[in-house]
Amino acid sequence: MRLQLITLAGVKVDHEVYEVVIPTVDGEIGVFPDHEPLVSVAKAGVISIRYNKDDGPDDLEYFAIGGGIIEITVGLVRILVDEADHGDDIIAAETEAALERALHMRDTAADQIDIEKSTQLIDRHAVRLKVADLNRRRRR
Amino acid sequence: MGSIRQLKSRIRSVSNTKQITKAMQMVAASKMRRAQETAKSALPYTQAALDILSHFAAQGIVWNHPWFVARPVKTRLLILIAADKGLAGAYNANAFKEYLVQLQADRKNGVANQTIAVGRKASQFVTRLKNVVLAGSYADLPENPECAQFHAILQTAQAAYEAETVDAVDIIFTEFVSSMTQTATTQRLFPAGFTKSEVPGNMPEAKYEPSVGHVLKAAAYRLISAQLFQALLDSRASEHSMRMMAMKSATDNATELVDDLTLAMNKARQGAITQELTEISAGVEAMS
Repeated sequence: MRLQLITLAGVKVDHEVYEVVIPTVDGEIGVFPDHEPLVSVAKAGVISIRYNKDDGPDDLEYFAIGGGIIEITVGLVRILVDEADHGDDIIAAETEAALERALHMRDTAADQIDIEKSTQLIDRHAVRLKVADLNRRRRR
Repeated sequence: MGSIRQLKSRIRSVSNTKQITKAMQMVAASKMRRAQETAKSALPYTQAALDILSHFAAQGIVWNHPWFVARPVKTRLLILIAADKGLAGAYNANAFKEYLVQLQADRKNGVANQTIAVGRKASQFVTRLKNVVLAGSYADLPENPECAQFHAILQTAQAAYEAETVDAVDIIFTEFVSSMTQTATTQRLFPAGFTKSEVPGNMPEAKYEPSVGHVLKAAAYRLISAQLFQALLDSRASEHSMRMMAMKSATDNATELVDDLTLAMNKARQGAITQELTEISAGVEAMS
C-alpha cells in the first residue's frame, strides 16, 4: 500500500510501505495492506513505518507528528499533519533544552493561556525526544 | 547648467543610491525564489484536505457543522495581509485599495466590520482610518509562516466566528499568479466553503473514528489553516517579487540619471575649458 505523509511544509513521505503505526485519539493503530476504509483523527505522537515485510526493528523509520487526520482507502494511507519531523532531523540535545525551557515556562506561567501554550510545547518536545531516542537506539 | 562641483556631488549621491537599490534587488530576488518554492509546498496539503471533505460532502453531512453553515452577515472580520516594510512598489497600496473596496461594500450594505492587520504597514494604515475596529495586529512574521502568530490569527478568527461576534471572515492578500503578475484578492475563510471535487470511486463507506463530528472538525480545521497558510505564503512571494521589480526599475532609473548627469558635467567642463581658451587668446590678441 502507498503511504503519504503530508504537512503544510510539503510532502514528507510518498512511498510503498508494508506497515505503519499511527497514534490516534482512540489509541495506536497498526495499518497493514487491505485495512478497512477509515477516517480518523491522529494525535501528537510517533509514527513508525516499516517499508518491507522482512524489515527488522532496526529498519523502521520514525516521525514525530503533531495532530492530524488519517484517511485510509483501498491501497492508500494518507496522513495529514500539522508537522512531522523525521528522526534523523531531530537533534536530541536541542530538543532536551527546548523541553527544559517549556517546563520552566509552565512553572512560571502567569495565566491560563501561558499554561496551555507551555503544555502544548512540552507535549511536542516530549514526542520529538522520544523519536530521537528511538532513532538512536536503532543505530546501535 | 550647474557648476561642475555640484554635478560631481550629485553623481556621487545618485550612484550611492544605485548601489543600495541594486543590493535590495538582489536580496529580494533570492528571497523571492525561496518564497516561491515554499508557496508551492502547501498545495498537496490543501488538496488532501479538500479530498477528505468531499467524502463528507458526498454523504451530505458537511452542512451540519457550524463552520459550514452560512448565516446572514451582520459583522465581518477582515484579515488584511501586507508587508512590514515599504519600498515594495505597489504591493502595500494594492492590498490597501482592495481593503478599502471591501470596507465601502460593507458600509453600503450596512455590515459592521472588524480588522486584523498582518504586517506593520497594514496596522499603520488601519489605525489611521476612522470608524474601523482593529481586532488585532501582527508584525515581524518570520520567513516561515508556520509560527505562533499564524496559530494566533487562526484561533482569533475561529473563536470570533464560533462566538458569533462575526458572521464571516475574509482574508485580503496578494495572490502570487506568476513572478510578473500579482493581484490583491479577497478570499472567504469562514464559513468554510469548498468546490465539490469528484468523489473517488474507490471510496466505499468508510468508518469514522471516534465520531463523524470529531473527524469533520479536524478536517475542516486543516482546510482552513491551509487556506490561511497559503494566503500568507502567496503574500510573501508577491511582496518579494514586487520589491524586486521596484528596486530593479529604481536601479535602472539611477543608471539613466548618472548617464545624464555625467553628460551634463562633461559639457560644463568642456564649456569651461573653451571659455578659458577664449579668454587667453583674447588676452594675447589685446597684448599684441
